[in-house]
Amino acid sequence: MEEDILTTLKILIIGESGVGKSSLLLRFTDDTFDPEQAATIGVDFKVKTISVDGNKAKLAIWDTAGQERFRTLTPSYYRGAQGVILVYDVTRRETFTKLDNWLNELETYCTRNDLVKMLVGNKIDKENHEMDRAEGLKFARKHSMLFIEASAKTRDGVQCAFEELVEKIIQTPGLWQSESHGRGVQLTDEDAGNGSCGGYCSLV
Amino acid sequence: MAADSDPETEVFEITDFTTASEWERFVSRIEEVLNDWKLIGNSSDRLPIEKGEYTRSTWEEKSQEINFADFKFYITHYVLVQDQQTEDVKDNVEEDAFPVAMQDLLCMNNDFPPRAHCLVRWYGLREFVVVSPGANCEAIISESKCNLLHSSVSIALANSGCQVPLFVQVQQKWRKMFAGECQGPGVRTDFEMVHLKKAPSQYNHLSGLLDIFKSKIGCCLSPLPPVNIAIRFTYVLQDWQQYSWPQQPPDFDTLLGSEVGGVEFGKLPFGACEEPISELHLATTWPNLTEGIVVDNEVYSDLDPLQAPHWSVRVRTAENPQCLLGDLLTEFLRLCSRKESTEEVLGRRLGEDEGKENADISSALSRLTEPAAAVPISKLSVSNMVHSARKHIRRHKRNDESPLSADVLNSVLLYLFPDAAVEKSPDSKNKTANTNSSGKSEQEKQSDHNIFLQLKSAPSDSLTYRLALCVCLINYSHGGLRAVAHLWQEFVLELRYRWENNYLVYGLTGGPPDLRCCLLHQKLQMLNCCIERKRARDETRKAQDGNKDRERKVSGSTNNSGSHECPTLTPAASSTTKEVSPGKSWDSWSDSEDEFFECLSDQGEAEAPQPEGEKEVNKSKAEGRLHPYNNMTLLHSAEPLYVPVTQEPAPMTEDLLEEQSEVLAKLGTSAEGTHLRARMQSACLLSDMESFKAANPGCVLEDFVRWYSPRDYVEEEEVDEKGNTVVKGSLSPRMKIPGNMWVEAWETARVVPARRQRRLFDDTKEAEKVLHFLAVQKPADLTRHLLPCIIHAAILKLKDEEVVEDIPTVRKSIQQATSQASKLFSPFNQDHKKLEDFISQLISMEIAITRARSLKAKFAVSEGEKAEDAAELENFVSSLLEEPEVVVLGAGQGPAGSIIHRLFVSAQRAALLSPLDEDFGNDRKQTGGSNKVPDFPPPAGREILLRTCVPRPAPYSKALPQRLFCVLMKEEFRLAGAFSLDTAFF
Ligand SMILES: Nc1nc2c(ncn2[C@@H]2O[C@H](COP(=O)(O)OP(=O)(O)OP(=O)(O)O)[C@@H](O)[C@H]2O)c(=O)[nH]1
Ligand SMILES: [Mg+2]
Repeated sequence: MEEDILTTLKILIIGESGVGKSSLLLRFTDDTFDPEQAATIGVDFKVKTISVDGNKAKLAIWDTAGQERFRTLTPSYYRGAQGVILVYDVTRRETFTKLDNWLNELETYCTRNDLVKMLVGNKIDKENHEMDRAEGLKFARKHSMLFIEASAKTRDGVQCAFEELVEKIIQTPGLWQSESHGRGVQLTDEDAGNGSCGGYCSLV
Repeated sequence: MAADSDPETEVFEITDFTTASEWERFVSRIEEVLNDWKLIGNSSDRLPIEKGEYTRSTWEEKSQEINFADFKFYITHYVLVQDQQTEDVKDNVEEDAFPVAMQDLLCMNNDFPPRAHCLVRWYGLREFVVVSPGANCEAIISESKCNLLHSSVSIALANSGCQVPLFVQVQQKWRKMFAGECQGPGVRTDFEMVHLKKAPSQYNHLSGLLDIFKSKIGCCLSPLPPVNIAIRFTYVLQDWQQYSWPQQPPDFDTLLGSEVGGVEFGKLPFGACEEPISELHLATTWPNLTEGIVVDNEVYSDLDPLQAPHWSVRVRTAENPQCLLGDLLTEFLRLCSRKESTEEVLGRRLGEDEGKENADISSALSRLTEPAAAVPISKLSVSNMVHSARKHIRRHKRNDESPLSADVLNSVLLYLFPDAAVEKSPDSKNKTANTNSSGKSEQEKQSDHNIFLQLKSAPSDSLTYRLALCVCLINYSHGGLRAVAHLWQEFVLELRYRWENNYLVYGLTGGPPDLRCCLLHQKLQMLNCCIERKRARDETRKAQDGNKDRERKVSGSTNNSGSHECPTLTPAASSTTKEVSPGKSWDSWSDSEDEFFECLSDQGEAEAPQPEGEKEVNKSKAEGRLHPYNNMTLLHSAEPLYVPVTQEPAPMTEDLLEEQSEVLAKLGTSAEGTHLRARMQSACLLSDMESFKAANPGCVLEDFVRWYSPRDYVEEEEVDEKGNTVVKGSLSPRMKIPGNMWVEAWETARVVPARRQRRLFDDTKEAEKVLHFLAVQKPADLTRHLLPCIIHAAILKLKDEEVVEDIPTVRKSIQQATSQASKLFSPFNQDHKKLEDFISQLISMEIAITRARSLKAKFAVSEGEKAEDAAELENFVSSLLEEPEVVVLGAGQGPAGSIIHRLFVSAQRAALLSPLDEDFGNDRKQTGGSNKVPDFPPPAGREILLRTCVPRPAPYSKALPQRLFCVLMKEEFRLAGAFSLDTAFF
């Protein structure tokens, strides 16, 4: 079983407090929705193995607390992440406007600039939307992210969000190869020129 | 044929009599390959070759293995890729036109190409095929074998109708001996070659060679059609005379002379120690002469290089000139593989011989810390730092000489810790150095910044970066491994000194460790965090001492009751938490030390401004208030809601973080694991709750949540019985869950202000951990830590140097190298070989820059010369760097030409007349005659190309191209002839 796991990917979930990060994760890993989900303290951690296009990947997912006060603590966990899920709550505009701060934070603390970002607008099952899909799409395009709307409660879009993200990471070999496989980049060009006379032939 | 006599093939023939002989198979193999490569048929439909096309266009080469019995050959096809296709001229093709190779023999557009296969140079061919012995096979030397091979290709050509010339390589490879043939309709060209070590004297000049050519053609026409002549003489200049390499290797000793103020430790040395341009080759060419116009025989020659209509130059570069930066990097990398520990290097074992006192580690530790006692805290200067260091070293190594002299050590420490030189008040030391990069553009800064990120090094003005430069230089020029170990020991000692005396470490950005930097940098930042916290505590304590008398009565009682234990996962505790079982209570995750955030006794809050007119009761109870929060009041009283003074969370370095996330991850993914994880991370929450309670007497959890997590306090408008809308607030559903951790923590939290809580971050313990970590790093470890910084510094250095010279190719390779660099230090596969390769790339850039520098010095515009000359010279130099051969505009009369001429003249004088006592510049013309020193040395090589078109073998045959290329050098005489003959009317 373990042998055919392609690689372990580190995924990060960030966003304002209460947008449903932990709920999304629980939906993804255990396919349940727990209305009794407590506010996260520090970081939480879950593992799930998924198969995308026949590639198996083990996901180590770090769920961070959105709480202002924990912010000083959580960025430490950004290190080495290959993918990040930014979550906002479609029924609370301010959770969307705060996304810029989260992106800044990512930029500052993330150790790799090629990580794959996915924007998730959560809680679409609710009625009082303050955000429409187009706004989310626009923001995602502007920052070269994947985008999806989802509901942890009804499971809409949740599986898909994680799968898309993983697929994208796997398509970006620089993101995972350097770790598990030693396929480095050739630094020097192979010396050309052989044959009896070589390419460069001068008189003296 | 030969197969009969060959014992090896006999064996083969016994096993298979039915097949053709090996030789026949070989011939048909060649034909097959020619067919596969589509080299069959008329070749005359090609475009004429443009001037210089052989150099401009690319050459294609494909190769295949073929066997003669079990003897391996390679058959290789070389062809010029022509810009234009052949279509448009197809109509004019005559059926029986000469093969294109024959036309090429006479074409004058590409004589003496700077870069080409030798067969191209000798015969002017644009396409040909060569059969040569395989890589590990012996050469074809015996005459019978040569003939056999030659006849094989001849038959293959005839059988296949291929018009591409086909050569076989015979004799030893280095001799470059080829024999070949080209066949066309009713015509044939034989390619023959003579190769001798010395030119026979009768052929050592143009007239002798013309004689050979004519006799070889054997033409009986009279008068003979004129022979076209192209001549090229090549002169080699090795002795640069007064233009000797201007860069002297820096004298490291004088750099460190004690009188000289600043030591150049911040600068990496750069440049070659020896001339990177070893030779200049001047080719003087007479491209188009006719027989009779020039005289060149045994006694006289018209061929004066100065008068040649065409000059071109190439430079030969020294192969591996010693370069300072490169050497430095190589030596540094070498340190990485040393195994010795600092103590082994510095000979701690000598100390052990002394016996007793070393048995006890704690006494060793106290000795390490001794400078704290020895040096008055108010004064921190290099001299007393060095003094204390000296004492320390002396103690351990009695008779042994210190690897670093006091002077050098002093300078290095001064460079590393410049704040020690100036006596500053402790407060001003807080400011970090921000010295350089003022004159740079935004864009440059950005790209420099990218290097830093990609390499994961450290900011270029940081202590870490400077340490890297020092270690590198110390290793290179002040004693290698031993000196590095010594410096490192002193460095760690200095850090300990600073820790013990509350001096911040200079040159580090404040705040928690920057995870984008190398680990060593993070560790130093961590130490600074510790010092900062300790200082803050000590300062408050000092202030406290002043008030002590007044406050004494209160202090005794609170000190003990304030001791409160809480679950925690500070890095310090992480190792113990690993063994914790989920069932334990809140209190079990603490260590037993009674350490407080601020070791204070009770005191009125000085820093929190208290609103006027507050009730006496509240004022006395509330503690640790920071400021009121958004004009809110507590839910159950009219008191304003205060933000409390809180403890800062523990700073973390990446290794601690790794450790912690491992611990957290190990708890598993069950609900229980999640719960436990939350609990382990709740130290900060609990501490904040306690501070909040202390600052807000009479508060409830709702109050706390309104400050701490406002979204979890839901306010809804409700209509009461009287019909009024009132705003009613309550905790969010998730906060209301019975027994959730927030509620649980709130209930556990006592009323304790931050300063009386147990420290979340044990700076003493962490500082000791950092210092221990540093102390046990071996020199090789240190080197590995610093490698990113050194590579970073080297790239910056190369960039700076390149900007001065402006060499586009180097600029490009620096960019490429930078983007590749990020892969070098991936923690998962640190590959020594890759690092070596990378460093040799950097070295080659250094060499390229040095070459540019050398050429610029040699072709510098002297005073009084015109501006356009300067521009021309500049172009000339940059072409020399990028192109294999550069035309000298105006030949011997142009600006570059006259400089080259001068270079040769002075080299000649130095060689033939010593010493040179007159200024040749003034009266060159006159003295040139009287001294009889020729301006140029004898040519190192002469190439003479003779061409004509005459009927062969009979006067009534077709007139066909004939060509002889002669090479005359000191150790080589070669005649490469191509003689065509009419095979139809023979
Ligand atoms: N209707 C609805 N409610 C949701 C959904 N997702 C989460 N919630 C609720 O939103 C609240 C917050 O969800 P959490 O998953 O705890 O939010 P979080 O982002 O992890 O919050 P922090 O841990 O504080 O950063 C909970 O009460 C959830 O039940 C959803 O898709 N639909
Ligand atoms: Mg959560």
